[in-house]
Amino acid sequence: MELKTLAILIPMLPLIGAALVGVVGLRGLRDRSHWLVLTGVGLSLVAAVWLSRIVKGGVGEPVVESLTIYEWISAGAGSWLNVTFRVDALTSVMLLTVVGISFLIIMYSVGYMRDHHGHAERGYERFFAFLGIFVFSMTTLVLAGNFLLLYLGWELVGLSSYLLIGFYYQRPAAAAAAKKAFLVNRIGDFGFGLGIFLIYLTFRTLDYNAVFDMVERGVMADGTLLETSRITTIALLLFCGAMGKSAQLPLHVWLPDAMEGPTPVSALIHAATMVTAGVYMVARCSVIFASSPLAMTLVACIGAATAFFAATIALTQFDLKRILAYSTLSQLGYMFLGLGVGAFDSAIFHLYTHAFFKALLFLCAGSVMHAMGGVIDIRRFGGLAKGMKVTAVTFWIGGLALAGCPLLAGFWSKDEIVHAALYSNMPWLGAVALVTALLTAFYTFRMIFITFHGPLKLPQGVEHAHESGRWVTVPLMLLAVGAALAGYVGATWHPGGFAGLFETEGPIHHFLATVFAPAQAVLGGGHGEVGSHGGASYWATYWLMYISSALAFWGIVTAWYFYRRAPMVPGAIALWAAPVYRLLYNKYYVDEIYDVVFVRPLRRFGGLCYDADRFFINGLLWLIAAVPRAIGYGLRGWQHGAMQGYALAMVVGLLAIMLWALIRSAA
Amino acid sequence: MESSILSWLIFLPVIGIVFVLAAPGRYARSITWLFTFAVFLLSCTLFDPFLRSWAFDGPYGTNMHFEQIVEWINVGGFHINWHVGIDGISFPLIILTTLITWLSAWASWGFDKWKINRSPKGYFALFLLLETGVLGTFAALDFFLFYIFWEVMLLPMYFLIGVWGGPRKEYAAIKFFLYTLAGSVLMLIALLAMYFASADVTGTGTFSLIEYATHPEIAKEFNNPARLFLGWPFAKVMFVMLFIGFMIKVPIFPFHTWLPDAHVEAPTPISMILAGILLKLGAYGFLRVCYPIFPSAAVWAAYFLAVLGLVNIIYGALCCLAQSDFKRLVAYSSISHMGYVLLGIAVMTTVGFQGAMFQILAHGISSPMCFFLVGVIYDRAHHRDINRFGGLWLSMPRYGSLATLGFFASLGLPGLCGFIGEIWVLLGTFSAPWPWAKPVAVIAAFGVVLTAGYILWMIQRVYLGKLRKEYASYPDATARETAILIPMAALAIFMGILPSYTFDLMNGTLADVLDVLQPAITAAQDVVIAMGG
Repeated sequence: MELKTLAILIPMLPLIGAALVGVVGLRGLRDRSHWLVLTGVGLSLVAAVWLSRIVKGGVGEPVVESLTIYEWISAGAGSWLNVTFRVDALTSVMLLTVVGISFLIIMYSVGYMRDHHGHAERGYERFFAFLGIFVFSMTTLVLAGNFLLLYLGWELVGLSSYLLIGFYYQRPAAAAAAKKAFLVNRIGDFGFGLGIFLIYLTFRTLDYNAVFDMVERGVMADGTLLETSRITTIALLLFCGAMGKSAQLPLHVWLPDAMEGPTPVSALIHAATMVTAGVYMVARCSVIFASSPLAMTLVACIGAATAFFAATIALTQFDLKRILAYSTLSQLGYMFLGLGVGAFDSAIFHLYTHAFFKALLFLCAGSVMHAMGGVIDIRRFGGLAKGMKVTAVTFWIGGLALAGCPLLAGFWSKDEIVHAALYSNMPWLGAVALVTALLTAFYTFRMIFITFHGPLKLPQGVEHAHESGRWVTVPLMLLAVGAALAGYVGATWHPGGFAGLFETEGPIHHFLATVFAPAQAVLGGGHGEVGSHGGASYWATYWLMYISSALAFWGIVTAWYFYRRAPMVPGAIALWAAPVYRLLYNKYYVDEIYDVVFVRPLRRFGGLCYDADRFFINGLLWLIAAVPRAIGYGLRGWQHGAMQGYALAMVVGLLAIMLWALIRSAA
Repeated sequence: MESSILSWLIFLPVIGIVFVLAAPGRYARSITWLFTFAVFLLSCTLFDPFLRSWAFDGPYGTNMHFEQIVEWINVGGFHINWHVGIDGISFPLIILTTLITWLSAWASWGFDKWKINRSPKGYFALFLLLETGVLGTFAALDFFLFYIFWEVMLLPMYFLIGVWGGPRKEYAAIKFFLYTLAGSVLMLIALLAMYFASADVTGTGTFSLIEYATHPEIAKEFNNPARLFLGWPFAKVMFVMLFIGFMIKVPIFPFHTWLPDAHVEAPTPISMILAGILLKLGAYGFLRVCYPIFPSAAVWAAYFLAVLGLVNIIYGALCCLAQSDFKRLVAYSSISHMGYVLLGIAVMTTVGFQGAMFQILAHGISSPMCFFLVGVIYDRAHHRDINRFGGLWLSMPRYGSLATLGFFASLGLPGLCGFIGEIWVLLGTFSAPWPWAKPVAVIAAFGVVLTAGYILWMIQRVYLGKLRKEYASYPDATARETAILIPMAALAIFMGILPSYTFDLMNGTLADVLDVLQPAITAAQDVVIAMGG
């Protein structure tokens, strides 16, 4: 098939599936509505695989192509308004990740969105329709060939996210979380939109190719020199959007609350795919960001800060899904750190591996939650490994990958980012990333040891911990395979590398190299380039891998000691450092601060405006209206209707006029 | 090309009035439905020339379609013509009018269930008269005729609010009437002054809105800074008077306070017409009367108008945040949304004009939808307190889904109509050549965040959350209610996904108007450049 047909099919198939669910759901076949979306996404996955094979081509460089699908707005505007798709290596990596993970998670949802008797939950068909719409929106976002279409996909995934967070809309917390997610994203989009305006103003087009070409040459639309301040402004405004969507500081507040949605949604949208849209966007605009040192620095700093900040919060939380949400924030921070130090391919690599192990962890958490009758607080259960073998084993694999245990997926990608940061001009960011890696290993295994090991403990009303059905466990196992092996697209068998076996340069780096070549050229090698340490000694090249493996093990062993061997220690530490503990437990009070600084004043200001409307403007109006009334009131006395009065007035008036005439003639 | 189709269109509702009055009262709603539907179908026949490539050939005023000129009054030297015709500015608004009026007629179906169920004949007769007034105003090309229809429209509205409205209907009706009348007086003064000024040039004088703009000598004399009116430059005084007349209708801050009161008191179908159509007349007035005739003054006032538009956007949205009355919230959101229209017009760029016109239409679809959605729930609950609702989606899933769609269209979600209008206006403002344009655009863009805030908060409180017991038994939207909502929902999606079809209907004329404005804009920019700006 042609590239264009495939590119159209990838988003359209899930959409058709979702639309058909709308029809079928009405006809009473709701219990089977998942087949439509599952088939749509499955075919879409086939198309995505096919597309990436074409993109990869034969031996030469990967294909880069812009495809005009149809003219969106024709009148009096430029070609940038067409629906254009851009297909290249970055697109196909993203498509494979998004559609592949979506497929597995939709499969899982078939088993998950049911009660214990296997009956579909309320709104079952709505759930699958929304998932179909989400896959459509996300693939549109990824395929977009201009900023307008990107923005469209961007907002549509936001809508899907809103609808799915609020899926249990009868729960007030879910309704509030949905609103919060949409609003915080809107704030980011406010900057993102302005950034797109500024791009249009500067380059007179929104088409990727044209814009990136001009940025690379350092010119504006009229051929004059592109100032650094201008490109920095553009980059920072675009980054606002990324901060909203990828939940980076200070716009991170919506993501933990978004866990009110069903667990598959948390796994798919709020861990594996949608939240990485910001990372994708920055990588897509790598030329723009690379042209602005200030923007790069800011991206790296915000990334590192978020990584550390979120990991510290995750240390103290008790909600299984929220721990994972903060972990997602932290890992997204890693990706931005990678982008900020110029290791674009490593960031995308991490995005790709993270999608596997984080989706896996969330789905395992869902499996636990299902078995525990909806309870998600890790203090209320324990020792589940015996009853739930598949879940426990897969959770372990995901946890090891997240913690950066050697040879698993997360290890390869995270290490590259840390390496790039350490060898950039901001090495202290690399140090922050290393500390965060230790924290990550600790909080991950804290929840694993509490949940799965030790004596069996079950929440009230749950008789025994039972494993979930086949629909749930098969995706878990598939994802576990991914979490274990996905990293090997970024590492090759090589006798000189890590442990004498591996080289940190793999097919994915070669594949993505063409996409990021312009950005690397703009950077001019100022930032550390990953994987090209030719000439350096073995130790200088690979020491970091040993350090980070050691940190991972240190974290895991500490967690084991704290929660298995000496359960008094964590409590003692919390007591000893009570203020710090409280600060972390309350998430640095960010929500409370926002409430006091932004939400309440804005509401109060709104009230003030309304009062001004009612009292000031209407008061003025009343005054104006009172003038004729007052005049009328004053004159009313004259119109009393008594003849004598009128006659008297006439006489007086006549006399006055005569007197006046007399005086005038005399003068 | 002479054609009497517009005259038929304008007076078909009047024929309907005859039937409504002659038939027994219980048939009034059916007759009205049939006539408004017939008017809608008739208006659809007007599509033909606008879909052809030559629709917009020639400069402003030469490409009127279905034009008809009949000498009407010719006494004492006054030449007043029955002059109607439509171009890309008025045509989409005529379609909008006939569509929304038809849907509102349908929305009036439950008339006998209203609390004030008196005189259906009177209600439906006035309803049809209102349509005649609106269509006449949009089609009129003679200023005198325009003024007459403007006044024709005022009276039925006054009675429809004042007789069939809510508890404070008299207050709201009189406020609406006095406000609009004050604007009309200013318009009347301008009307006479412009007639005599044109008589100074051509000898006979004219009321033609097209000639004012395109007759080279009249246009020159009107914009001549040496020509004074009561000691002030003629163009500026006229522009300001006309502008105030129209801005009351839009409404623009600070003349907006009649709107929330009128909406809250008006019955649902009348709110739909008020928000969907009547507000657009003010914006239409800017585009038809103020801008092409007084380009010099338009450039002079651009900054103030843009700031007024900005105030509308932000102030309206902030007021929305403070509302607990559902209908008042939608009314204030209208104020906020119409601010984008003024902003887009004020910056006088191609994209800005297109965005403003699109926003007029988009709001013409989304706001009647929102008002009807409020009406549906008001019919069941008999109150509109947002804080007393909750979880309505659970008991009324179809209504809940359509409501979400409607409010998201109003919020400006991409893929729905509100988005294109807003983003076009912002884009037009951002890229406008005025030194103040960028900051204004940035602040206006922040309005989008506020809009999302108040609408999502409202959705959360009304449709989401726990279902309250008193609403659990509410029936879902009926077939009639769904049928009324579906066309608006479909248009909201259609305009959002395929905006080009809508743009194609109007862009040609907007470009013509801009050509008329261009010399004045260029002159103003030369001044800016000369000042070293």
